[in-house]
Amino acid sequence: MAETYSRELHRAGADATSRLARFRLLLRRYPLGAAGAFILVVFVLAAIFADAITLLDPLKTNAPEKLLRPGGGHWFGSDVMGRDIYSRIIYGARISLAVSLGATAIGSLLGVAIGLASGYLGGNFDLFVQRIMDILQALPLLVLALVTSAALGPSLQNTIIAIAIPMIPASARVIRANTLSLREAAYIEAAQIQGMSEWRIALRHILPNTVAPLIVLATAQLGSAILTEASLSFLGLGVPEPAPSWGRMLSDSAAEYMRTAPWLVIFPGAAISLMVFGTNLLGDALRDILDPRQRG
Amino acid sequence: MNRIWQNAAALLMVAGGAMAQTPKSGGIMKIYQRDSPASASIHEEATFSNQVPFMGIFNNLVLFRQDMPVNTPETIAPELADSWAWSDDKKTLTFKLHPGVKWHDGKPFTSADVKCTIDLLQNKLADKFRKNPRRSWYANVEAVVPNGDLEVAFKLGRPQMSMLSMLASGYAPMYPCHVSTRDMRTNPIGTGPFKFVEFKQNEVIRLAKNPDYWRRGKPYLDGIDFPIITNRATAMLAFIAGKVDMTMPTEVTQAILRDIKTQAPKAICKMVPTNVHINLIVNREKPPFDNADLRRAMALTIDRKAFIDILFEGDADMGGALLPGPEGIWGMPKAMLTALPGYSPDIAASRAAARALMVKAGYGPDKHLAIKVSTRNIPTYRDPAVILLDQLKEIYVDATLDIVETSVWFGKIERKDYAVGLNLTGNAVDDPDQAFYENYGCGSERNVTAYCSPELQKAFDAQSVETDVAKRRQMVWAIDTQLQNDIARPVIVHQRAGTCWSPDVHGYTQMSNSSYNGFRFEDVWLDR
Amino acid sequence: MTAYLVRRVGLMLLTLLGISIIIFVLLRLVPGNMVDILFDSAGMVDPAEKTRIAAELGLDKSIPEQYLVWISGLLHGDLGFSYVSEKSALREILPRIPVTARLALSAIAFAVLLGVPFGVISAVRQNSAIDYGLRVISLAGLSMPSFWLGLMVLMGFAALTGTLPVYTEAPKTTLDAVLLVAVPAMTVGFRSSALIMRLTRSAMLEVLRQDYVRTARAKGAGAGRVNFHHALRNALLPVITVIGLETAFLIGGLIVTETVFNIPGLARFLVESIRNRDYPIVQNLVMLTAFIVVMINFLVDLLYAALDPRVRLGA
Repeated sequence: MAETYSRELHRAGADATSRLARFRLLLRRYPLGAAGAFILVVFVLAAIFADAITLLDPLKTNAPEKLLRPGGGHWFGSDVMGRDIYSRIIYGARISLAVSLGATAIGSLLGVAIGLASGYLGGNFDLFVQRIMDILQALPLLVLALVTSAALGPSLQNTIIAIAIPMIPASARVIRANTLSLREAAYIEAAQIQGMSEWRIALRHILPNTVAPLIVLATAQLGSAILTEASLSFLGLGVPEPAPSWGRMLSDSAAEYMRTAPWLVIFPGAAISLMVFGTNLLGDALRDILDPRQRG
Repeated sequence: MNRIWQNAAALLMVAGGAMAQTPKSGGIMKIYQRDSPASASIHEEATFSNQVPFMGIFNNLVLFRQDMPVNTPETIAPELADSWAWSDDKKTLTFKLHPGVKWHDGKPFTSADVKCTIDLLQNKLADKFRKNPRRSWYANVEAVVPNGDLEVAFKLGRPQMSMLSMLASGYAPMYPCHVSTRDMRTNPIGTGPFKFVEFKQNEVIRLAKNPDYWRRGKPYLDGIDFPIITNRATAMLAFIAGKVDMTMPTEVTQAILRDIKTQAPKAICKMVPTNVHINLIVNREKPPFDNADLRRAMALTIDRKAFIDILFEGDADMGGALLPGPEGIWGMPKAMLTALPGYSPDIAASRAAARALMVKAGYGPDKHLAIKVSTRNIPTYRDPAVILLDQLKEIYVDATLDIVETSVWFGKIERKDYAVGLNLTGNAVDDPDQAFYENYGCGSERNVTAYCSPELQKAFDAQSVETDVAKRRQMVWAIDTQLQNDIARPVIVHQRAGTCWSPDVHGYTQMSNSSYNGFRFEDVWLDR
Repeated sequence: MTAYLVRRVGLMLLTLLGISIIIFVLLRLVPGNMVDILFDSAGMVDPAEKTRIAAELGLDKSIPEQYLVWISGLLHGDLGFSYVSEKSALREILPRIPVTARLALSAIAFAVLLGVPFGVISAVRQNSAIDYGLRVISLAGLSMPSFWLGLMVLMGFAALTGTLPVYTEAPKTTLDAVLLVAVPAMTVGFRSSALIMRLTRSAMLEVLRQDYVRTARAKGAGAGRVNFHHALRNALLPVITVIGLETAFLIGGLIVTETVFNIPGLARFLVESIRNRDYPIVQNLVMLTAFIVVMINFLVDLLYAALDPRVRLGA
């Protein structure tokens, strides 16, 4: 697919080099990816401008307005405490984004550092690090996150850490594999001959060449971070009340009222699904565009 | 008023129903259970998750009548003790035991077992309970003295009318001497109408009829199954679909009740007080909360009606330390209540006064007080805490929640390792001794706010020895008023919750001033 | 070959050892241990009694000592005692294995039965409307939290039939039994099926482009025969990989699904044991999970070698 993309770009002639044309072409070639990006942008904007696009305080309890159906006053209805679901969903995007971006960033950064070191230094250090990665990978993400967050206690920061740790091995592995293959490349040898230090070679030459697979991976991890946060909160171990975490909104009280007030279950779940769907669409497109194996 | 009539009507119906039909024997009743209790040993647990499924295995010396919804000293009935008598100085309580009673393993029940049970509760034996949550109930018992196999005397340090009430609670079953505490946790032996069959964590608890029960002809049921269903919505659907005959007692919320009424209109449901109150705890040793004005301001911002409307759809009660009437027998009258700080219906005025106190303490619109409100990580605690946070905002307090896992919660507040907390306090018996000594007594482990008033302590003792109920009630009201005026532990709301059962179930009475005493199930029968 | 196997098994043991240490230490970092729970949930605490219980449960020993007790027990098949039920941990865990295994296997079967055929269809009809549709659906499957899907299915069931496929007691009829496994299995397996579909599709596409398939077509073999006989066989390899990869995800999915459907299996037991700080149960369950994941990865590697002559089991 990517081949056709570059060929098409070529065929489009001189104009294609202009940013706008390239962008348009991308949109045309990857409509699903564009849709994914759009979904994410909407969520990010909603999170940033939450104060502007909501009228009601997401934490404001209101006895006379409890469990109202979706309608004029409350677009998505209200919950057991009379809080506005729409406001809570919008403000909840902040939590979802903070957790997923935070966990992915921490997990990737640590993974990159470990992978680079491991691949470049090799030897016993590499062997040792690989065993640690084996250990982390032998435990399901949710199981490891569950035990870690139980150990750390429920809070936003701890949730981010609990999700970031199990994410380290994947990016460490990708970086290490790339580092190993790039080490043998001619230009690295040239750099070595020129007398560049190993760390400088790693940072100057190897890291930039592994960015593409890393982006693909990070996008995929973004989605699973959102899902893991939701699951943790659903099980009562993630981001605590009264913060409007989507997973938390779905747990206790929503499950209790799923018959009498289904909107308590439908909207938060739809928000989670939609955001993850966005990252998945974008991730797919990014992989098509960036994956070096397909770039030929 | 309305409620009184409802209760009276319900009582009449129960009485009328009982007269109209003769009980049938047979059948296995199913009651859903909300979670797996930690063990099967009633003496070691402090939750009715343990009480409901296991009370039927045992007998007490005396027990509140199972067919009367309100437990009072007058409704105490004989069980293993055929009769009891107070000595003239009211310091000795003697029980005559029923002859011929056998434990489920065939060994005879004697006065030695009574002594063993109380000795265990006082940690006097080599074999000890892992947990002993109601040890303080027996603090006043100096000795239990058997006189032959069928008589036993309780020697008390001072007269204590409440002793009999506590012994009549579901929390005071008789344990056998010859069975270890460990076996009582996993495979309990009692003298009661039902025998323990099995307890599979997360799955089911099963009891079977005790065919050799000493009360001839009882129980009527062949057995009781308690399938464990943790999700309340699922559990209620199981009830609506007829998969269980009865909901777990007091697990039905007002919203769910409406759903059940439409989906299963024939179901019989009762909403009753659970004798559990939601309260605000403030650690008066931790600055800035050593400032009485601050504590008073926090009490004044509480809008009790909002709590009642949000959490209970209007169906719950305002009260003091003791359960309000008509179900509660020691609660203050309404007129006394509304005079208490923060109980006035004019919330705006209370809050204005609260804000003035805050300003006096150095806070205001430009200088908010940032605090953490600690609470336990289960919905019945978290939900009211969220409302509290919202109401504290009204008086320049920016509060965030500090969610504490159940495993750490009680330890944390007992160590007084908190500043402000939202807490639930349950009373097993509607009784002033239990409520006062435990929660407000100087030095009591469960007095988590460090409130201590030497003169009130004397008043606690004075009401405890008072034998005239009317006089004692006046004394209790005065103490309760003082506690609320001192902002000892502001009581936010007394909960109400419901129980539903199928019309096939007969002979069950839902207790309305305690959640811990009404599950012997020996009079319950099925008609199908 | 033998050398490879020895090395692999050695590494597996090393991994499991590492997990045992990590999980053991992590659990001891958790604030509030079983002794706290036992006493605190009941209120009144006498410090002397607390010490006594700690000694009874072996929690007064140093962490390395406690670890050695556990590991040496584990090697002798003694998993210790559950603090909560006071039964042997083995007796608590064993009866729950079939419950969860049945659910997991049904979920995988469902995932393969749904994922492989749709993956093939999607590849064969590449870039058609049906391909796009299936891809979007599969992406949606990957995006939905399985507990939400579970809740939605329950809501649907309740609205349509008034009953719920939720475990309340041992099923009486076969239909009940099937429904009680099938519905949660489908909810939890939907995600896996989406992943299998996507991998089958991309593997098929790659294979369809390759020379021998073109040769087979040139020789006049029918399209269906080519697709299924030549292409699918080769596309099976990545599917096996996915099953290996998905085990870990599936276990995560089971945790929430068992909670939603009230299934008395291992995954939900793990969550409740974490809450109860029932260390003997938690550490043994986590080890079991790790063992399963490691074993399946190992088997997948072997299977891979057996199916694909190009893969050599070497260094």
